[in-house]
Amino acid sequence: MTHIAPLPKEGITDPELKALIAEGEALGVPDNLFPCILARAPEQAVPLMRALIMSHGQGNVDHRLKEIIRILLARFANDKYFASLRSAKARAMGLTEQRIDDGCSFYEEDAKGFSAAEKCALRYADLMFLDANQLDKAFYDEMKKYWTEAQIMELGAFIAFHYGMQMFMRSLGAVPLG
Amino acid sequence: MLDEGIDNYAASERFTPAEKIALRYSELMSVNPDAVDAAFLDELRKYYGHDEIVELGAFIGFNLGYHTFFGTLKFYPLFSPDGRLVSQAESKKLYGAAPISLGKAGAAE
Repeated sequence: MTHIAPLPKEGITDPELKALIAEGEALGVPDNLFPCILARAPEQAVPLMRALIMSHGQGNVDHRLKEIIRILLARFANDKYFASLRSAKARAMGLTEQRIDDGCSFYEEDAKGFSAAEKCALRYADLMFLDANQLDKAFYDEMKKYWTEAQIMELGAFIAFHYGMQMFMRSLGAVPLG
Repeated sequence: MLDEGIDNYAASERFTPAEKIALRYSELMSVNPDAVDAAFLDELRKYYGHDEIVELGAFIGFNLGYHTFFGTLKFYPLFSPDGRLVSQAESKKLYGAAPISLGKAGAAE
């Protein structure tokens, strides 16, 4: 049970929020716990849900890589809720639990088969909240070898937003619904 | 007051107990999230409704994430403390490597 109980899903009447909840449930991230807690602050709920779903499900960076990054961050944040969720879209694209575990913990090992671009993006996520001082000009120069500036902004904003929401859910003691 | 709220809110007499615990929520989420436990949430509930706690928590999480990201991009405010549009090079000189409040930067001039 979270420290702040979610509102009953049936009691949410805002059509935009209802549509976003359905979109999240279809993707698998988030399930309805996150938006039903957010719904207590309705002005925040719609833009935050939209940003969460869009930053994860859309854009020009491979969705499977973003899914690994999202789970890597949730594990680092010790957020049991978001760490337990899985994207149905990523799974349909072939992402396995083994690949997720490898990406979260062993991505630097050549035997795990991550490309140089993927390693750099995973390192970006790893370092952002572990030691942001290492994300200096030299690091961004390395990122630019593999990613456009638009993709780097997409990745950076994705990492920042999802980690922030994971820390928020952790602070509420949120655990998976299932 | 901005600097006092950042550096000395716990001991300050200029903040109410409600403001102090909101500031503490912000601080703990970043530096000691294990301390944001059921007892801490009970304390928050003395001053804030569930809607306000959700608003505060999401706001803090959002800022925690984005300020860390923005910090790595090394960009500086577009305007000087006296309201002039300045270059990034000049802004870097004004605001330095460590973020400080506009008020403190202005007082230093």
